[in-house]
Amino acid sequence: MMKFWVLLLLTISLLTSFSPSSYGQEHETRPLSPVIFQSQGTSYPNGPLLSLNLAKEEEDFLKEEPQPSIADPLEPLNRVFFVFNDKLYFWLLKPVATGYKAVTPEPVRVGIRNLFYNLGFPIRFVNCMLQGKVERAGDEIARFVINSTIGMGGLLDVATNKCEIKRNEEDLGQTFGFYGMGSSFYIHWPILGPSSVRDTLGRVGDYFLDPLHYMDPTKYRLALNAFDGVNETSLTIGDYESLKKAALDPYIALRDAFYQNRRSKIEE
Amino acid sequence: MGRIILNAGIASFLFVFLFAVPVRAGEATEKIKQTTDKILSIISNPALKDPARAKEKKRLIREAVDERFDWEELSRRTLARHWLQRTPEEKKEFVVLFAQLLDRTYWSKVEDYSGEKVTYVGEQIDGDYGLVELKVLTSKNTEIPVFYKLKKKEGDWLVYDISVEGVSLVNNYRVQFNDIIGKSSYRDLVKKLKEKIEEKG
Repeated sequence: MMKFWVLLLLTISLLTSFSPSSYGQEHETRPLSPVIFQSQGTSYPNGPLLSLNLAKEEEDFLKEEPQPSIADPLEPLNRVFFVFNDKLYFWLLKPVATGYKAVTPEPVRVGIRNLFYNLGFPIRFVNCMLQGKVERAGDEIARFVINSTIGMGGLLDVATNKCEIKRNEEDLGQTFGFYGMGSSFYIHWPILGPSSVRDTLGRVGDYFLDPLHYMDPTKYRLALNAFDGVNETSLTIGDYESLKKAALDPYIALRDAFYQNRRSKIEE
Repeated sequence: MGRIILNAGIASFLFVFLFAVPVRAGEATEKIKQTTDKILSIISNPALKDPARAKEKKRLIREAVDERFDWEELSRRTLARHWLQRTPEEKKEFVVLFAQLLDRTYWSKVEDYSGEKVTYVGEQIDGDYGLVELKVLTSKNTEIPVFYKLKKKEGDWLVYDISVEGVSLVNNYRVQFNDIIGKSSYRDLVKKLKEKIEEKG
């Protein structure tokens, strides 16, 4: 009987990492303070979008330039896992999250999301330092201290709302990318979702920086992971459906969106 | 990663036409704001809330969007090198189909608009090309970075791409279309487009 529950918890816990909203990184992380940028490479380094070479970039497409994209030698297998995850989402994760959503007010769920985000401090901090982003690392400390104290353990995101401290996302996969490691190729993990060789390695490394990892006994940790995932999903129901609705080939749409998003995160 | 799906869904390009708090307005940003304000006024017009006038409302919004979006530029960029190999009729057909696809996909987002706040962050101009950056604040207190890419045509700034959280709409479709054309054919892509447009729900 116990085994059954542990297995169920394990499944949901892994599922949560799949939940499109919680892949790889903790939750809401958007730079908040409006940055007014002048026209010459100021606040942003050469993001693909922000390169002043818009003109050249946009004319290139007419030549036989291959689209920058991620290699996908495992495509047939990845597609199988994609379908598997799709079913898992619609048959298990979404119903559970919908039920949870119905009985839990949104501010509470956002608060819970903030709580889990706060726990991601070590991962973000360490990776900021590894990339030499000292100012950001400082922001992370400030954010963690403020939110953990005034923000009641992370429940309230005082740092963002009142102190205008930028939110960031950093992880080991981005750190590897920062130092020039390419994604290598695309892997779509069952349950865990889109990833790449590089980002998977990053995930493994970050695992040791996750405070939840050190929680004993295991079943509580899994329960918390599962809870995190369900909560996160409850806040983002509809997004995966939108992606499917908009795409001719959802598998490719997801793969490319993952790739573009990771690239832009590394470059910021 | 999840953010992108979340936001690709939410902050679609039509949906991003929201009330804006200006930080600093450049030329291209002004154009975006004009269209945004126009659409907003249509959405909030009490006279048009009557369900009997829903078609008219949709038409008006569509017209406002058409003024600002360069459908041909957008469409041909999604085909990229395959565009050059198309006949003029095929090109016309494709532009129409792709606009229909986007319309079908994102129209519901316009209807779902519920007062999200937009902050214009800034813009970059490089000759005839422009980049407008904004941030959308959702009800759950998350900020979504959005970029519009514009091109100046006959003195007017027209949008040819939107990117949400680092994911460009044009690029995303380009990879999909390229894959379909590579695996089967252009005709198959057209067939799939038509099927998708007819799809229910």
